[in-house]
Order: sequence, then C-alpha cells, then structure tokens
Amino acid sequence: MASAPTPAAGGNVAEYDLMLKLAPHLDRHLIFPLLEFSAGQLLDEETGDVKDEAKAREINQAKYALLKKTDMTDYVANLYCDLEGLNEPPAEFADKKQKVFSQLQKYEQETSKIIELLERDDVVNNLRSDKVANLEFLKREHDVTIEMVNALYDLGNLQYSCGNYADASEMLYRFRVLSTDNDKVAFATWGRLACEILTMNWESAMEELQKVRETIDSKLSQNPLAQLQHRTALIHWVLFPLFNFEKAREPILELFFNAGYINTIQANCAWILRYLAVAVITNRGRAKNPGIHQKQMKDVVRIVKQEAYEYQDPVTRFVHALYLDFDFEEAQRQLVLAEEVLRSDFFLLAHADDFVDSARHLIFESYCKIHSRISLKDLSARLGLNTDDAEKWIVNLIRDTRLDAKIDYKEGTVVMNHPPSSVYQQVIEKTKGGFFRTQVLSAAVAK
Amino acid sequence: MSRFFRGGDDSSSESSSDEEELYTSEEEEEEEQEQEESSEEEDEEEEESSDDEAGPEKKGLSRFLVDQASSESEESDVEGATKVKSAKDKRFDELEATITTIQNGQKINDWGSISNEFDKLNRQVVKLQDGGKAPKSYIKCIAELEDFMNETQAKQKVTPKKMNATMARGFNAVKQRIKKNNKDYQSQIDAFRKDSDAFMESDEEEAPLPKPSKVKFAEAFVSEEAAEDEEKGFARVDKRGKAIPFSPESIQKHLRSIVESRGRKNTDRAEQIRIMEELNKVAETPYLKIRVLQTLVSARFDLGSATASMPLEHWKAAERELAALLSLLETHKNHVVIEGAEEWEDDDKVPVLGPDDKYIKVPGSVVSYIERLDDELTRSLQSIDPHTSEYIDRLTDEADLYNIILQGLLYYETVRKDASLEIPQESLNRIIQRRLDHVYFKPAQVVKILEENSWKQVSSSIDSAITPRALAGDAGQLIHTLCNYLFSNSEGIIRARAMLCQIYFLALHDEYYKARDMMLTSHLQENIANFDVATQILYNRTLVQVGLCAFRRGLVYDAQNTLQDICGSGRQKELLAQGVMMQRYSQVTPEQERLEKQRQLPFHMHINLELLECVYLTCSMLLEIPLLAQIGSSPDIKKRVISKTYRRMLEYHERQIFTGPPENTRDHVMQASKALAAGEWKKATHFIHSIKIWDLMPSAEEIKTMLAKQIQEEGLRTYLFTYAPFYDTLAVETLSTMFELDSSKVAAVVSKMISHEELAAALDQVTNTVIFRKGVELSRLQSLALALSDKASALIETNERTLEVRTQGSANAFSRKDGRQGGQRGGGQRGGRGGARTGGNAQRQAGGTQFTGGALGAAVRG
Repeated sequence: MASAPTPAAGGNVAEYDLMLKLAPHLDRHLIFPLLEFSAGQLLDEETGDVKDEAKAREINQAKYALLKKTDMTDYVANLYCDLEGLNEPPAEFADKKQKVFSQLQKYEQETSKIIELLERDDVVNNLRSDKVANLEFLKREHDVTIEMVNALYDLGNLQYSCGNYADASEMLYRFRVLSTDNDKVAFATWGRLACEILTMNWESAMEELQKVRETIDSKLSQNPLAQLQHRTALIHWVLFPLFNFEKAREPILELFFNAGYINTIQANCAWILRYLAVAVITNRGRAKNPGIHQKQMKDVVRIVKQEAYEYQDPVTRFVHALYLDFDFEEAQRQLVLAEEVLRSDFFLLAHADDFVDSARHLIFESYCKIHSRISLKDLSARLGLNTDDAEKWIVNLIRDTRLDAKIDYKEGTVVMNHPPSSVYQQVIEKTKGGFFRTQVLSAAVAK
Repeated sequence: MSRFFRGGDDSSSESSSDEEELYTSEEEEEEEQEQEESSEEEDEEEEESSDDEAGPEKKGLSRFLVDQASSESEESDVEGATKVKSAKDKRFDELEATITTIQNGQKINDWGSISNEFDKLNRQVVKLQDGGKAPKSYIKCIAELEDFMNETQAKQKVTPKKMNATMARGFNAVKQRIKKNNKDYQSQIDAFRKDSDAFMESDEEEAPLPKPSKVKFAEAFVSEEAAEDEEKGFARVDKRGKAIPFSPESIQKHLRSIVESRGRKNTDRAEQIRIMEELNKVAETPYLKIRVLQTLVSARFDLGSATASMPLEHWKAAERELAALLSLLETHKNHVVIEGAEEWEDDDKVPVLGPDDKYIKVPGSVVSYIERLDDELTRSLQSIDPHTSEYIDRLTDEADLYNIILQGLLYYETVRKDASLEIPQESLNRIIQRRLDHVYFKPAQVVKILEENSWKQVSSSIDSAITPRALAGDAGQLIHTLCNYLFSNSEGIIRARAMLCQIYFLALHDEYYKARDMMLTSHLQENIANFDVATQILYNRTLVQVGLCAFRRGLVYDAQNTLQDICGSGRQKELLAQGVMMQRYSQVTPEQERLEKQRQLPFHMHINLELLECVYLTCSMLLEIPLLAQIGSSPDIKKRVISKTYRRMLEYHERQIFTGPPENTRDHVMQASKALAAGEWKKATHFIHSIKIWDLMPSAEEIKTMLAKQIQEEGLRTYLFTYAPFYDTLAVETLSTMFELDSSKVAAVVSKMISHEELAAALDQVTNTVIFRKGVELSRLQSLALALSDKASALIETNERTLEVRTQGSANAFSRKDGRQGGQRGGGQRGGRGGARTGGNAQRQAGGTQFTGGALGAAVRG
C-alpha cells in the first residue's frame, strides 16, 4: 500500500519506518495523513523542491491506490491526472461522481424527515434515555420507520467516504441515538471516532474512544480473536490523539497499560512500544503523579526487555541500554539515533525535542543514582553539551529535581550524596498504612 | 454323517484333528453348510424342472449322493446304510423333542429357553439334512417361530411393559439368527406358508425324487472328503500331493467364517492366517483382495496379546499387506474402505458397481489399522533392550511405518475430496497426529531424510493437499503445516497435542522465543491437569525441551525456572515416562504397574536424563551461589530458596569430611559451586568444563564459552557480596583483572547491583572505584524490627485477599473502599512500597514470563 522505503533516501532512519506496519490497522482515511506526511518529508525545507522524484511518484501512486475505493472523486481524478500526466480526467470519474451525487441525494431525501424531526425542540424534549421507547414514540407520533433510521447510517457512511467528516459524524451521532441494532451502533461508534480524529476534534474523539473501549471489553469478551483485533485497531487509532492532544495523554497511557491492551501490544503489535516509550518518557515532567510515572516507566522497561527479541528500534534500545545494561555510552549513541527516527515519524515529530530533553534527564538521573562523584567534563561530553552549558544544565537539574548533589568547582566534579535510608524510616514506612487498612478491613467484615 | 465317514477312512490324517476343534468351529461349519445347502437347493429345483439325469453332473452332486446313500434309498450296497438309518431316526426324534420344547416356550413366551432350543435345533438339523432339504417339521417350526417373533415384536412396540433382561437377550438372539437362518430355507418356508398341509404331505413323495444310483459310493466318498477339506482347513492339501485350489468364489465364505471365529478361544490363528495368505493369492477382483487383506491384517493383529507385542515377521507381513491394500485402493479408485459402510451380506456374489453407484464401499477403517500397526511397533520397541543391535534393526522399520502413514494420509485426502462419502474429519486428524508423532522429536535433517524417502515410494503424479511434496525438504515447515492443520480442524486433546509437538520441535531447534511464546499463549499450563496422562507426559517433555533450549541460548534464569518443576521433583524418570521409579513405601497395584509400563516411551524418544540433571544443576548453581553470598552477609533477609534439590545436594556435599576428585556430573557441579562461592571462578569453570556430557549438546564449545562467561559474571557478583563488608573502596581495574572482564562490563555489573539495591555502594567516576557505603549494616534488633514490619504488612495483605475471595459476589463494596483509601494515602507511598518490593525481587521477576507447573506426578501415576 505504502511506498517501500528506499535506503538511499532515508538512510538508516528509513529502516525504522513503521508505515508498513501501521497501515494495515488503520482506516483508509486515517492513512492518508501519514502518506501526506511522507510526501512532505521529501520536500526540501529551504527550496521546497522535491528531492526524490521516483519516490514522490511512488507516494502519489500509493495515494491513488488508497483513495481509489473512496468516494472523494474530484481528488482522485486529480491524482490520476497527475500520475498519468493528463489534463482532463477520464469520463469514468465523472460518471462515478454523478453516481455518488445521486446516491447522496437519495439518502438525503430519505433522511430529511428524520433530521428535521430531530431538530424540532418539541420532539427532542420528548426523547428519553430508553432507545426502544424513543423509537416507539417516533413511530407513533411522526411515522418514523426503522428504514429511515438506517438511512441515517448509510448517509453517514457515504459522507465519510466522500471525506465530509463533520457531517458524517453528525449523521452517525443521530443514528446512534435512535438505532437499536447493536452491531451497527458499534460500527457507527468506530465511524465517529474516525471522523472526530480526522476533524481533529479531540475532545469528542476521547468520548468515542471510551465508548469503543467499553464495547470491546463487554461485547467481545466471548471472542478473544476479535477482541484482539479490535484492540489492535484501537491502539493504532488512538495514536492520533495521543500525540496531538495534551489532555488525552493520561487516559490513553492508562489505556495502554491496562492488562488487556498491554498484552495486545506484546502479542500483536510490538512496534507500538516505540510510541509507548516515547509517550512515557516525555510524560516525565508532566505527570501529576510521579509514582504512577515511575510505575509506567518500570512497565515499559519490563516490556522492552521481554520483547527485545521481537522488536527493536533506537528508542527501545535506548531504554534497554539505560535501564537494563546500564551502559550509558550506548544509551547516548542510541539517543542520537532515536532523535533522527523521531523526526521522521508522523506522530512523534512534534515531540522529538521534548523526548531528547527528557531522555537526557533520565540518563543523568540514573547516572547520579549509581555514581557518587562525576567529573563535570566527562558529564558534559556525555550530555553532548559544552562545559558551561552542562554546568548550567546541572544546576537547573539539581534545583528542579531536588537532587542531593553539589558541584565542586575546584575539582570540576559533581558530588552526589546518597543518604542511606534510615532503618527507622523504613519501619515507619512499612507500618504506616497498617492501622487504616485494618480499620477498613474490620468495617468490611462487620458488614 | 461326517463322523461316520471319517471313522471309516483310516488313511486320512484328518482324524488327527480332534473333536474339540470340530465342535468349536461347528457353528461356522453349520452356517456354511446351510449356505451351501441353499445354493444347492436352487440347483435342485432347476433340476426338478428339467430332467433327472442332469443332476449328477452338477456341482452339488457329491453331497447329494452321500446323503442319498445314507437316507432311505435301498439301492446303496454299503452295509453301513442301515446303521445310519437308525441313527438318523434317533436324531429325528431328538429334533421333534426340541421342536416341542420350542413350541412350549412360545406358549409361555419364554424367549430364554427358545433361544437355547433354537440353537440346539439348528445344530441337530444340520445332521439331518438330506439333499439340502431340511426336515419338514423343522421348516414348520422355524416358520412358526418367525411368525411368533414378528408378533412379539409388534406387541412389544405397543405395550409399555418391558421384557426382563434374559428374555430380551434371548429374544434378540433369536431374532438375529432367525432372519439369517430362514433366508436359507426361504423357498421351503414359502411353500409351507402357501399351504401348510400340502407341504407337510408332499414331502414324502418328493424326497426320493433324485435318483443318482449310477454313481459309485467310493467316488462320492472322495468328493465328499474334498468338499469337507475345503471347508475345514486344507490340512490335507500337501499330503495328497494335489493342491486344491481356493476358488475365488469361496473366498467370501472363508472370510466370513474367519471373521466370525475372531476373538473366540481355541481358534488356530496361525492356521487362519495361512488360509488367508492362500486366499490372497487367488483373489482376483479388487473387492475380494481388499476383503482378504483386511481380514488378514486384523488376524495378524490378533496375534499380539495384551502383554506381548506381535511377532516380528507378522508385523512385517502386516505392514506389507497394509501397503498392498493402500496401493490397491489407490489404483482402484472406485473401491473405498470406509467406516460405517454396509456389510455385504450375500456371500455368493461379489458386489459390482451399480449404474448409479460411484463406489463399492467396503466396511473398515484404514486409520485404525495404521494406528494399530504403529502401536505394535512401539510396544515391541518398549520390550527390546535399547542397547542391542536388535533395537536398531527394529527401529529401521519405523521408516516403513512412516511410508504407510503417508500413504494412508494420501488415501484419506482422496476419499475426502468426495463429500458424498462423508469421511469424518476425525480420521484424517488421527492419521495426521500419527504422522506428527513420528517426526516432532527428531532433528530436522532426520525428518528430511525420512520424508524424502517416503515420498520416493509414492508415485510422482500424486501430491498431498495438506502437506505438498515440496514440503518434504523443509522439516520445520512440515511440522508447522501439520500442526496448523490439526489446530484448525480439531479440538481438545488432539489440538493440545499438536501444539505441544510444535513447541517441542521449535525448542529442539533453538527457537526459544517462538516456543516460549507458543507455550504461554496456549495456556496449557493452566489446564494440563485435565488431559490424559499421555498428553501430560508430552507436556512435561515439551517443558523440559523448552528449558534445555533456553539453556542453549544462555538464558540461565529462564532455563532454571522452566526445569524447576520437573527436575526439582526428583521424579524426572516418571514424569517423562522414561523409566519406572522404584517406590519403596507406596503400594502400586500390578494393574497400575502394567499401565505405567505401557506408557513408557521407546528409548529413541528419550531425553537424556543425565544431561538434563547437569543443565539443571549448573543453572541452579549460577543462580544460587550469588544468592547464598548475598544472604550470607545478612542472615535476616528472608530466606529465598530457588532450588531445594540443589540446596540439599550442596548441604550433603559440604557435610562430607573428605571430598575426592569429582567422579560424576553431580560431583563436578558441586565442587564447581564450592569454588565459585570462594571466588575461584577459574577453578569453577574448569570443573564445569570437564563434565563430559556437554559433548552431547549440538554445539558444545559455544555452550562452554557461554558458561565460562556466566561463571565470570556470577563470580564477580558473589565476590562483591561476600567481600563488600571488608572493603571501603575497590578499584574497578582490580576487579576487571581479577575476573578477566572488561572494565566497562564490571562497571555495568556493579551499576546493575547498585541500581537494584543489592549493594550499598556507589561508583566514583573520577577515580574509577567502587565506594562501599558504611553504616548500612543493621543491628540485630533493627533487622528483626524490619522483618516484623514486613510480616505485619504481609498479614494485612493476606487478610484483605482472603476477604476478597470470601465476598467475591459482594466484594465490590470493599474494593471500592480500597480504591478510595488508595487515593487518600496518596499514590506516592504506594509506588514507593511497590518499588521496594520489586527492587528486592528484581532477580526473581527478571524473566517476567514464568510458566510453571509440570503435570503433577499424582496424575501420572493414576
């Protein structure tokens, strides 16, 4: 579907291109932005020229193949003209356009009544939460048939296919309010999720996400394979909000670390680990709760280790080097590579700087934990900064993280102070919650 | 009659065949006679219509004559005739008496006695038959009996009252026999039914009708004997110097008699087999050939008893015959052997292809034959001493067996193509399972040779849909295909077995991660206890193989963890079905012992137990020695034991006052452990390397290198744990030279230990030293307090869990509260707690993916 990465163009970065792996789990319309992005990567930043003609053409072809089946006729026709070097699109496109148009009109006629009804206040006010009753009510009072409701679904589908996402979302929403057909409602929910993602309407995308998740957990619990496939798809779809919407981060990470989903990642799509690792690492400073962040980090390390035989890229190798091998030089090398990879990734482009910064923190943190004295010069080399910058950076770091460390300027070293945790403190920690927990326990027993 | 003649013929060796034998096969004979009778009867009727003189030329002549002679015909010049006559009368009387009893039985509806009497009646009537005509009274009796039976059956359907068990049994027996029996006398019965009185009278005139007076008695005698030979066993063929050919027509009758004598006592199986071998030579049509081969193979299988396997030459013959059968079926595509086909009842005709029939269906199950053949080979391998050349010889037969399996598979594939035959999926599954059983434990090269040789036997035009010929060269792909087929087409045990076979094969070929992932995704470790013992054994074998594979990959932790359940139990032999354990105090019934013996795997499938033990102990050493050193410095850390078996051995070894140079594997590992504990890693490496059994591993040198590396690292860790209290600082350089490791590697190991809070130390980057922190050693009181607080929190946790289990249904309230409480206390503390715990257990959790639970021994013994 997508273009095969050529080593000449992308160098070693291309070998980490996940496009091919991601594509099968995404919808046509969702792949399109990714393709656009790949095309954009080929443009020279300064001149705006296309660097690699052959590859650009390949991408165009891929775009055409991708969209051929959709109903965005005008765009497809243009693409075709581009590819074939024609001025005038062939007649078949016009035919198809006509057909789509008439279809659209047909559905619109069919649904006009119900849409009109749903816009009337007196009708809407009479609707309750019970879908069956609603339908009954509409049937009785306004001659709404089940076919009309289903027409809403078809219209939504067609509009989505035409690229008219906002309207499609609206149609599907209305359909969902009325329909009692569980399967179709589930499809409509997926459809809405796609629409919201494509219209970058993240807030409602998150709502849809929750709904999809519930459906997967409840309806498909009897069918593990379907559950796995749906979860895989969901994991891929939510990459869009994960890296584009700040507020989505926490709930989505929580979703990923949910046992069912983490197993899905391990079993079916290990490449998601890159996104997971980046998301967790960049989440470092932001997490409201450092405890949760620590736990997530630990989980990431564990999974990276388990999946190392199956999936590796600079990001996971960085995690591996830092937390499993304690090889700081290797971690540094991988970080450089990882940055490159991030810059050529559709989802991660915006987070590359953030990631590098956080990763540096992590290296330093882990380094300090183990060492008691570090030479400043060495450290600055390790962080890829000059000595003065490194000093500033460390000072900031010490201030931010309240690390117990001092700089010995004369010796040019950073001295770490690791106070041993007092045994008394340990005992206190361990017995702290005991009383409360016992109380809860006894209350529960008494009930 | 026959007895009389036999008595007269002193030259015949037949007299040697004792009476007993005669009686046991009497029934069959009887039936055969009856059948012959019926055919003769037809002949006779024809004769009657045409001419008297035509009779003597007919086939049924001889018998006809003899009986004639023994009946009331006065023309016969033999003096014995009178004697015969009186005996015959006596028999008539007996017959009458039996008939009366049957009639009485009918009156009171006593089917039990009717059944008995009916049998008796049939026996008697054989001796009284003259010229294929049964006595009239007999005909009358059986006709009436049939009517009565039908009546009873009809009644049975209406009345809800059931017969009692004996009655019902008797009734059913009679019902079955009478149907068959009456068919033979159908014409007479019909005549009787038409006009019973006329029938009873007419017979007096009819009886003397044929007059074959011209034929001499002597001739009749000879031909009678020949006829008798034909039915009785051909013992005389050679002696007479004139082979009596088995005519193709008679084959079915022979077969029937043999099939019916199956499973009875005192049947001379060898004799029967000889008969059938002869029959096989004369069989002409494919149908007959198939029938003969089928019966022959089954008869050969009967030779094996419950305890001993079947004799070698018969196994080989059976194998050949099965091959012949399969190739026959292959060339004659319109003949199929399927289960559930209808038995061909008419022994006089060979079934022919009807205009709208596509196949001639022969009842039978090819897959059962193949399974049986396989089982017999296994049994014979079990009983042969594996260290003899005989075993090897026998093992070569496996290739032939594999050919048969392959051909059987091809056969089932072809018949399954036709949906109208309704071949059950199960047959195909069974045969594929057998094929899999023969390849899964073999290295890829061996499988490849086996496959290629088998395919050579199959004509090149034929290919398999499931396992194409092209797969023969790629064993891994072959196994994959077979397993996938079973996986998608079967369920339950076969499915589980297929999966285990595939895992085993993967593990054998160093595909550790694939094997492990399959093992984990199969979830077999959770429900293996529900499977049968053979599958549990396969599971254990697979588990062990996965463990060995992990070891070869250098994954010591995973290897130890996987092998723990099997090797830690000390009952490896039993769990892997590679030998019966001597149990001193347990009471094993002979029955159980026999079963267990039957379960044993043939030697060539064994996993080397000594190698297994060696791997297990070495892994345990690499994990336990650093742990012991860690615990040793602070005795109050909760004692963790990784391998009890290893600890026990180590203790035993340490108790010894004098230790000589190591002799066996165990000694080597123990002395290596001691050296490692003392920090002498070179000595430890030497001990481990001098274990001879490593040579059995595919790449022994690599494994030794891997082990040396592991010993270096673990030695360093042990050293640090042991001597940390005595140093303030240690230069990384020194450590690096001591253990001949890269200084970066040393730094990495130390970093890991510091990070996991196993070592209270820090690295000094400037001077490149390890600085040990002081003042972290706890006083006795402090460590006790820590232990106490640990226990207290463990107690609370257990309580919470117990309550959760107890109130499963209404536990929601509690867990909600728990969540709220978590929020109140703040996640930080919670995280801290969790962190501390994982820190402590880091080593244990490192694998993260543990599968435990070898199938339990109790189940194995049961």
